[in-house]
Amino acid sequence: MSTQLVQYAPAIERSITEISRLLRGGYPLSTRAVALLLLAGDDEIRAAVEARDQAISSRIDELVAKVRSSQSQPLAYMLAAQRQATVERLLPRFVRIKAGRAVGFGERLSQAMMNPLTGVPILVAALAALYAFVGVLGAQTLVGWLEAGVFVRFFNPWVDALVNRLIPWPVIQALFAGEYGILTLGIRYAVAIILPIVGTFFFAFAIIEDSGYLPRLALLIDRLFKTIGLNGRAVIPMVLGFGCDTMATIVTRTLETRRERVIATVLLALAVPCSAQLGVIFAILAGRPLALLIWAMIVIGIFLLVGFLAARLVPGERAAFYMELPPLRLPSLSNVLVKTYTRMEWYLREVLPLFVLASVLIWLGQITGLFSTALTALDPVVRWIGLPHEATPAILFGFFRRDYGAAGLYDIQGMLNGVQLTVAAVTLTLFVPCVAQAAVMLKERGWKIALGAIAFIVPFAFVVGWGLSRLLIWLRLPL
Amino acid sequence: MRRLSFRGNAHHPSSCHTQARADTEGLAVVAIIGQPNVGKSLLFNRLTGSYVTVSNYPGTTVEVARGRARLRCCNQALRIVDTPGLFNLVPTTEEERVTRRILFDERPQLILNVVDAKNLPRMLPLTLQLIEAGLPLILDLNMMDEAEFHGLTIDLPGLEYALGIPVVGTIGTNGSGIEYLRERISTCVHPACAVRPCH
Repeated sequence: MSTQLVQYAPAIERSITEISRLLRGGYPLSTRAVALLLLAGDDEIRAAVEARDQAISSRIDELVAKVRSSQSQPLAYMLAAQRQATVERLLPRFVRIKAGRAVGFGERLSQAMMNPLTGVPILVAALAALYAFVGVLGAQTLVGWLEAGVFVRFFNPWVDALVNRLIPWPVIQALFAGEYGILTLGIRYAVAIILPIVGTFFFAFAIIEDSGYLPRLALLIDRLFKTIGLNGRAVIPMVLGFGCDTMATIVTRTLETRRERVIATVLLALAVPCSAQLGVIFAILAGRPLALLIWAMIVIGIFLLVGFLAARLVPGERAAFYMELPPLRLPSLSNVLVKTYTRMEWYLREVLPLFVLASVLIWLGQITGLFSTALTALDPVVRWIGLPHEATPAILFGFFRRDYGAAGLYDIQGMLNGVQLTVAAVTLTLFVPCVAQAAVMLKERGWKIALGAIAFIVPFAFVVGWGLSRLLIWLRLPL
Repeated sequence: MRRLSFRGNAHHPSSCHTQARADTEGLAVVAIIGQPNVGKSLLFNRLTGSYVTVSNYPGTTVEVARGRARLRCCNQALRIVDTPGLFNLVPTTEEERVTRRILFDERPQLILNVVDAKNLPRMLPLTLQLIEAGLPLILDLNMMDEAEFHGLTIDLPGLEYALGIPVVGTIGTNGSGIEYLRERISTCVHPACAVRPCH
């Protein structure tokens, strides 16, 4: 009885019966449903039916074509309209609505978030709060305490002494301790610099996620995004990129067209800094508001420029924008804490082995002389963009992981002046995605797009760094 | 793009307890299906006691999560599958395709269709499609608290009768209604421990 819940127009019902008869059963869903999907133009189902019996499939094609030409509207639309009508007819019998509920504070706040006049100030306020929490509390207070207070003062000297006593060979000593040791560099970067930053970021981000602000932000930015060929739906993966670009690249699956997925993937790899990078950039540019402003303007400008150009280059249809607006909710502390914890655990599990591996590679490189060869090779490029050669290792680390490079930059910030810090921050933000992100790009978009994107991004980052350094020196801004 | 295989085509499930398709561990599979942002993942966490990311925006789940749930009666375990949101049985995005593949190829023994109780006019067309497909189904009206806040009173038994499938109401955020949902799931998956008959 349940299959007759929805009655379609007579001509459609007739063709459903005819198609069902041809199908002869044996599908994991009712033949009526298979017929409906075929009428709605479902290619996957059509292929599955064809794979089973080609003759029947082509007879069904004829039937579908016949009904399609007899109707003035697309069949998929008509079927959906019929189902909707059934629901509208059914519901009043079972749902009672108490009218006259006042417009609450939540409703007004929701409207304010999406109205450009009030929405932009709210966005700025949200970003300022994020900066205060992640950039000041996380990247300065907590990092300062862990890095200077715990690692440099106690942990590193203790490890150096212990390793020197236990291991007599200087070559092996260098693997664990010293300037680039696994414990003194790899673990220190991961635990003392990156962890407090991503921890505070994930916490703040979980609150934003659970409040329902992101879809409203997407609607606010939709108009801007349309000019670069993305719809507001794409803002969600972009914003998630601030948490972790690797996760965000996976989330681009929710975008409807291939064109959007490609543009979003490239932009994520190029111009969206991840939480660890963002935190370190906040920290090294702290106390230099002009430098932070220039960094933000450059990154946003490049984001828009590349997005715009990519939209011209990548062919394909533009998707219509349609998004659910979930209600604004007060986040539950338990979900926020559990989510922060799981993300930190996931991040550490991913990052620690890589940081250790990086230390091992550097160690191997030092033994074989490859490390200094790479440094020598990279040095001219680093100098070309106006940075001292002490910054070369940080840039080299950045090839391995963006957050590792950012941590390296944090380590030497005392040696750089304002212009150099700004240039380094911009270059590191733009260039190469980390190993994990590159792997996900490869898996999700295929090697052509992934390699193409990387081949574009690396030189582009250095050219922008060079241009910026010339410009800033010429402008003589007090950075 | 992978093709739908429609594997194992001997049978055509038209009611709750036709053929039992079990997973590799021999557990009955229950798939959570519904539109984006209706609370599928939170319900999955409630039923399995594990954690998958839950957020307040559509599209948080892009990959399928699997977990075990224990039913109180018969001491039976179940495999619960959490899926990315699905608007319509005809998919438009990649993650919708993933969900449909679960429905058609993996052939869960029971589908838990989760909907947003305060948005039924937009939610039920998918439910009708699932009913049309003859798939074994429980309809779960989630976010009952928000529906009430919006001034809605919903006659669950009436809806159950009209649709011809079990209908329950839950509040994922505080867990209310979850025990009753568990009971209805066990009735459908293991008729032997039935408190009330499955439709």
